[in-house]
Amino acid sequence: MSDVRTRPVARGRVLLASLLIVGGLAGIVTLAELLRHPLPDTAPGGPPADEPAGDPRAEVTCDEPVPREGQERSDEDAASASRQFVRSNELYDCPQQFDGRRVRYRGEVVGAILRRADGAWVQLNDDVYADALGPLPAHRDFRGGNAGVGVFVSHQVADAIEAIGGPGERGDILEISGVFHRVDPATAEVAIIRSSEASVSAAGEPLVDPALADRRAAAILFLLLAAGLTVAERIVARRR
Amino acid sequence: MLFRPDHRDFRLIGYYSGKVIFGVGLAMLIPLVMAVLLGERNESYAFALGVGLAVSAGRAAELFLYTRHPLSTSHGLAIVAASWLLAPVFAAVPLLLSGHYVSYLDAYFESMSGFATIGLTLVNDLDHLARSMNLWRHLMQFLGGQGIVVVVLTILASAGGRIGALYTGEGREEKILPNVVRTARFIWRVAVGYFLIGSLLLWLAVWSAGLPAFTALYHAMNLFMAAFDTGGFATQSASVGFYHSPLVEAVLLPIMVAGAASFALHYQLWQRRGGELYRNIETRTLALSITGLLIITVVGLARTATFVDLAPLFRHGFFQIVSAHTTTGLATVPGRLYVTDWGVLAPAMIVSAMALGGMAGSTAGGIKAIRVGLIVKGLRRDIRKVLLPEDAVVVETFHSTTKRILRNEQVRAAATILLLWLVLYLAGGLVGLFYGYDLQLSLFESTAAASSGGLSVGVVRPDLEWPLKVLYIAQMVIGRLEFVAVFALAGYLVAIVRGEV
Repeated sequence: MSDVRTRPVARGRVLLASLLIVGGLAGIVTLAELLRHPLPDTAPGGPPADEPAGDPRAEVTCDEPVPREGQERSDEDAASASRQFVRSNELYDCPQQFDGRRVRYRGEVVGAILRRADGAWVQLNDDVYADALGPLPAHRDFRGGNAGVGVFVSHQVADAIEAIGGPGERGDILEISGVFHRVDPATAEVAIIRSSEASVSAAGEPLVDPALADRRAAAILFLLLAAGLTVAERIVARRR
Repeated sequence: MLFRPDHRDFRLIGYYSGKVIFGVGLAMLIPLVMAVLLGERNESYAFALGVGLAVSAGRAAELFLYTRHPLSTSHGLAIVAASWLLAPVFAAVPLLLSGHYVSYLDAYFESMSGFATIGLTLVNDLDHLARSMNLWRHLMQFLGGQGIVVVVLTILASAGGRIGALYTGEGREEKILPNVVRTARFIWRVAVGYFLIGSLLLWLAVWSAGLPAFTALYHAMNLFMAAFDTGGFATQSASVGFYHSPLVEAVLLPIMVAGAASFALHYQLWQRRGGELYRNIETRTLALSITGLLIITVVGLARTATFVDLAPLFRHGFFQIVSAHTTTGLATVPGRLYVTDWGVLAPAMIVSAMALGGMAGSTAGGIKAIRVGLIVKGLRRDIRKVLLPEDAVVVETFHSTTKRILRNEQVRAAATILLLWLVLYLAGGLVGLFYGYDLQLSLFESTAAASSGGLSVGVVRPDLEWPLKVLYIAQMVIGRLEFVAVFALAGYLVAIVRGEV
């Protein structure tokens, strides 16, 4: 605090100034909330509203795949017997159980196709944004959030992918069958699937994000205010 | 005696905090230009609004709170703390408007995480986030890593030497050059120099990993900011694992280490005093610590048989330990696997690495190597005292730019801060336990938030309980400012209520 003391500011004035600052900050928050995309909290086709997202407190049980009629089931059988798609969360919850096993997996191609000499890496995201709901900001259902799984596919499959998910683009949905590896013996990549069969089950599409007129108006208004205050400040600064 | 603040105290705090907010507004022009160029229409409006709000607030402070009154140390500390709390308020506006955050609190969390170079994220559907918005996330790390106040020092240099008091508040103790502004400009030169070299190398690496040239350049710049500023945000939700490229990881490793090195050490290296690298107490401590933690991690991963071969074990173990120790938070492994596939020992070493952190006066967080080094030296001196005859004079020295004699006050100060860090880590862990997370998860995430480690096991997610979000935000800012500035601001609040006239 200042070495040479002057009369301190009355507590009432401090309180008033504090309320003004808090009010200003609350105004910023309210303005930002008002200018968000005008969308419903849940989107049609999404999971039920009371279905929670992945909670790390949830107890995870990693069951071995059930053998058929008491027989040991081979990995190949497991693939043909199981029509269910495995989720990436299941793979990460129980990597030991799935290691070296054939799995079926489905997800949106996101990011890029990373080509290598003998194939290509694709990241397949299987959360709710990849499935029924579609990517943000088209809705306000925020129960996605996983990172998907890296999948190694053949060049032919990579060539068949036309839309890659990213900003402004919904990627193709790829259905694959392949072997999950905790650590890929060939490349040392962690928690990946080497695909042997794959097909595009749904084509991607460009995302439409209509211009928000109220947001544009607010932006212009505050830019003008900023310009006005800057000019005023410059004038006052020259007079000091 | 505690005095009640007078009007000059409030003017000073408001005036300089306004300058910082103005600086954040100017920084938002970069993603605004990018949004316009890429045709990201709604995002360009969002950034224009952010610029308008921040510049208005900054100019209003300049207009109505102008003062020539000199700054004291307590002013400097309070200004830094206030600026760090206020800047994310404005930076969060475009983030919320992106439509990828549940609430304003989440966007504020993300901004604080960015500025404080933490790396924990609450963004949803990152893979579809607009490029300009993703750039802003990384740019916040670049600004925060150098210190937002340092940004103000260099951009708004008219404030000149009077704002030297602000410099110390941002967790920077040493003045590399005699003049604070020159020191700040040197820090910027280092950051920009590394940015050019690092981004180029990363561009080549990411390009060779298979990304198209332009996209690779974008990824490379973002990756650089995340690595050098020890931030840990990533362009893709799979973090570095997305690239499936040992080359990208190999380029990132020295960049992360450079980010965790103090700017004083960078200055020595720029002066071609290479000997500092192996004489400096911090580099030695860091090297020993990384080696020790890596060995235990390797043993832990070998015991769990997560990796069968040594090469992948070393590759992923080393990357994770360096990322944690430099408090970067980039990962080649999905975070969930730390819990389900890495046993107990390896994650414990990751937590320890995050807790210890990088060097003082760097972009890294955590306890800092200098404190660990000084405490170990102090311990060694005490043991020698016990072993030698009573009248023997025991002098312990350490090297940090120059050779220095270890003083009791230094050891005591280091031990005090170490204790505060441990309390901060444990407090967050305790609250996590209260909300039903098990010890491993809650301690991991608490340490990641406080130390700026940024690796996550999945506790930080959009539907995390809001008190925990608030707690982690508090941990971030307390950790980034290393306690003192936050204590000073709290002191002002106490003085308002209980101070003498």
